[in-house]
Amino acid sequence: MVSLFKLTIPLLLFEFGIATAYADYSNLSIPQIEYKDGYSNPHPTAVESLLGQIERRTSIETDRGSLQIELSHPNLYQYPFVYMAGSEEFEIFSGSELERLRNYLSYGGFLLIDNNSSNIGSKFDNSVRKMIDVLFPQIPLKKISRDHSIFRSFYLIDRVYGRKQINSYLEGINIKGRTVLVYSANDLGGAWARDKLGQWTHDIIGGGTRERQLAIRLGVNIVMYALTLDYKKDMVHLPIILERLKRHKLP
Amino acid sequence: MNKTLIELFGLDPEKFNEVNLTLATKDLTSTWVFLLFVFPLAAWFFWTSLKRIHLPLRKTFIITLRIFSLLMVIFIFLQPELEFKKKHTLKNRIAVLVDETKSMSIKVFPSEQSRIDFVRRAFEKNQDALESLTNIFQLDYYLISDQIESISSIGLDGRLSPKKINTDFEAVFSDLKKQYDDKSLQGVMLFSDGADLTVKPETISSELLTILASWNSPIHSFQAGSNHMFKDLAIEEIDSAGFGFIHQPISLTVTIGASNMGNRNIPLVLKDGDKILLSRLVEVREGESSYPVKIEFTPSVLGKHIYSLSVPLFAGESVAINNRKDFQMKVIRDRIRVLHLNGRPSWDSRFLREVLANHPKIDLLSFFILRTLDDDVASPTSELSLIPFPTNLLFSDYLNSFDLILFQNFSYKPFIDKGYLTNIKNFVENGGAFVMIGGKLSFQGGGYAQTDIEEILPVNLGGSLQSFENESFNLELERNLSRHPILQLEKESVANSSAWENLPKLNGLNVGLKPRKNSNTLASFTRGSNKYPLIVTGLFGQGRSLILATDSLWNWNFRQVGEGGSGRYYHRFWNNLINWLIDEPQTRLLRLETHKEHYEEGEEVLLRVSVLKSNYDPYPGAQVRLTLKARSGDTKLKTISTNENGEASHRFTPEEGFYTIKAETDSGKLKLEEKTGFSVFSETAEFQKPRVNETLLRRIAEITGGNYEVLTNKTDLSKANFENPKVETKTSSKHIPLWNNWWIYGLILIFLSLDWFTRRKSGLS
Repeated sequence: MVSLFKLTIPLLLFEFGIATAYADYSNLSIPQIEYKDGYSNPHPTAVESLLGQIERRTSIETDRGSLQIELSHPNLYQYPFVYMAGSEEFEIFSGSELERLRNYLSYGGFLLIDNNSSNIGSKFDNSVRKMIDVLFPQIPLKKISRDHSIFRSFYLIDRVYGRKQINSYLEGINIKGRTVLVYSANDLGGAWARDKLGQWTHDIIGGGTRERQLAIRLGVNIVMYALTLDYKKDMVHLPIILERLKRHKLP
Repeated sequence: MNKTLIELFGLDPEKFNEVNLTLATKDLTSTWVFLLFVFPLAAWFFWTSLKRIHLPLRKTFIITLRIFSLLMVIFIFLQPELEFKKKHTLKNRIAVLVDETKSMSIKVFPSEQSRIDFVRRAFEKNQDALESLTNIFQLDYYLISDQIESISSIGLDGRLSPKKINTDFEAVFSDLKKQYDDKSLQGVMLFSDGADLTVKPETISSELLTILASWNSPIHSFQAGSNHMFKDLAIEEIDSAGFGFIHQPISLTVTIGASNMGNRNIPLVLKDGDKILLSRLVEVREGESSYPVKIEFTPSVLGKHIYSLSVPLFAGESVAINNRKDFQMKVIRDRIRVLHLNGRPSWDSRFLREVLANHPKIDLLSFFILRTLDDDVASPTSELSLIPFPTNLLFSDYLNSFDLILFQNFSYKPFIDKGYLTNIKNFVENGGAFVMIGGKLSFQGGGYAQTDIEEILPVNLGGSLQSFENESFNLELERNLSRHPILQLEKESVANSSAWENLPKLNGLNVGLKPRKNSNTLASFTRGSNKYPLIVTGLFGQGRSLILATDSLWNWNFRQVGEGGSGRYYHRFWNNLINWLIDEPQTRLLRLETHKEHYEEGEEVLLRVSVLKSNYDPYPGAQVRLTLKARSGDTKLKTISTNENGEASHRFTPEEGFYTIKAETDSGKLKLEEKTGFSVFSETAEFQKPRVNETLLRRIAEITGGNYEVLTNKTDLSKANFENPKVETKTSSKHIPLWNNWWIYGLILIFLSLDWFTRRKSGLS
């Protein structure tokens, strides 16, 4: 009975989540990828909190219902942005799932991978890198340069923060000029997550409010990039952006 | 001597008048080698074999016999022969070239004689001199233009009527050189005004200089007319590419020629039909004859245009026709300029932006409203990448430079002043294209009801307070419009229907939209008794508009991939849609074309017309009125009727000039009109550069060693000097070999027999 309960409740929640998103299809939803072993949802409120910040700060309208989705799920392609979090080692996806993820990313999808372990060289990090090696054997995971649209899609950002600054950079995979996968080692979800009363669930290690704000801004920018691509590199924007970058030393 | 020899060999002295001794053996090398070896050997043999003969006389006799025998052998070896031939002395030739192009009809002041009259007068007055020349030389007469035409001297006077339309000395002398390749041309007499259309006034081309440098006889050039008191203002040359891009400046270099026009400022006017596009003042100064003027204009209408450049006609000008010059230019679209406004970032806008940004022919300017006034960005502006929305620039200054404006889930308030919506309406009315793509911020949700934007749209917005519904649905195509170019995802009708049926469902629908009377609802969604228009097209003024009442078209791209398909139909749909919106020729209901753009005078023009109904089915029996517009005015050509395929054609042969053809039909619901242009080669080209080119004529004479002279009533053609070397030609010949006869072989036999007999007598074997 216990095992049946454990199986049934998430399924019901999942179905409910899909149905909710379906109800207002125009709004932005970000499902979180479920995977075997490991711990795929260390900060259950992180995405909901980020979507709340996006709704508050930008013109994007969101559906904040929590969504968990497997790569094999038929509705995967309803959500061009998916979030994958974790802190433990996980079993690499099956061949068919990897094939599906490869197609998903190649034809317009976007994946944000967030390492919530806050450790250098963690098992999750190893698993992510192994998975990416198999996913795109010909395309290496590379540091994302500071002039990438991710750092200027909404906020002007020159530093990468999360709950703990493991790396001072983001890594990513590019296909035909579009970044389709972003990997953060700094536990972005930990900086975003709030409890039911709206309080931050985790302190920022080695930082404070400002660093948390920067982590939220980075989350907003990543989502904005997925929705607008290199829009901010259009010539009409460049002069103003470059002038601001030149004049103001960003915090 | 020759006659005796000819008679000796039994030939007719009337048929031959010269005899030459020649050797049949052409290569004497082997003969010399043979002699070099045989002579020492023979000498040694003669001497040693006659040692035992002691009588010197006998010895000398035998040696003499043997030398004779040897000489006979050598004679046979060389094969000598006599050539009997008949030779004539030929006259050297002189080519007389007379320019017969139209510029030779221009009158010379103050005598009022035409240039060709000077040539006529020169021939008349110099008949004796020409006859004297004819006695010595053969005079070949040619009429020249951009080619040479041989005529007899007798016919020359009657033919001297200038009518050819192009002068090209390079072609003339090139042809002449070929003509006299194997003949003895001892000189040329050139009668011309030198007005070569292929070179600039007072210049000579490098190609012509090359030809003249290798010319072996003098060319005496006689200049007909002069620029003295020749008053004329002309548009001599227009240097243009023949095509230009819409909304892009086109540069032209116009060469204005002025002769004796004094000091004055002259307006140069560029027109498209009756519409003045620009006017430029040209400062004409005494002493300067050529004025290159650079002008620039920006075409705003696609298609073939006949533009005209003109300068005023002043009293006393020699040539009036060259004060205006027409030219044809095809205005094409280099890029499709798209303004894409997004009310908020969404997957629909993101996938559409990807299509537009990657389209090879589209220049995209897109704006996303990333924040609204209600949003709290929690940051100073300096830390944001957001830029002010440049409404004035977009909707006032540069609006007309766009071909297509896309509002995607975009509410104009508070970003665009309502007055700018009027500008957008005018933009469409004047031929622009507008699309509104659905979402909560579109149509009624964007506050467009009862605005100028609603007037543009092919739907009315007043039907419902509720503007957007979240619902999953399949769209239904309007069967009657299945041939509409926007709906063609596949070429074959069955494959096209199948492609539409297999597209993923859409989600989210703008409701409360009512199609206007003359709009076309291409696709809709039916729920119960309600039919919701989804893709509707319409015409507004000269422009086109379209609505897409959903914000989920991206399903046809990304979700289609997830279902095992591809996004190609999504791309094709947008391509079709853009092509229709910007009025690409293949999307027009009335099509008109000529089979060529330029015609020779007298050539038949073939005009093809195709008419489609408003649903893009062929229109059989449509009545199409054709009107020919030319400088002289409009001419109603004919009304033609289309066949069962909606096609018709018309053939006619217009006179020279530049033409615009207009086709009109109002057989269907709509009144359709289409224009195209073509040109028939203008014969007036000769008058564009009417001035005498003295430099060219002078240089031709100088380079070839001839004389240059301006034709007057006193011109003496006998002063033209030509060399007259003897030129002979052979008409018949006969070869008689001297070595191949019994006399030679008999003598050898006798010499050898005597040698043998003498040796026997001397006791030798």
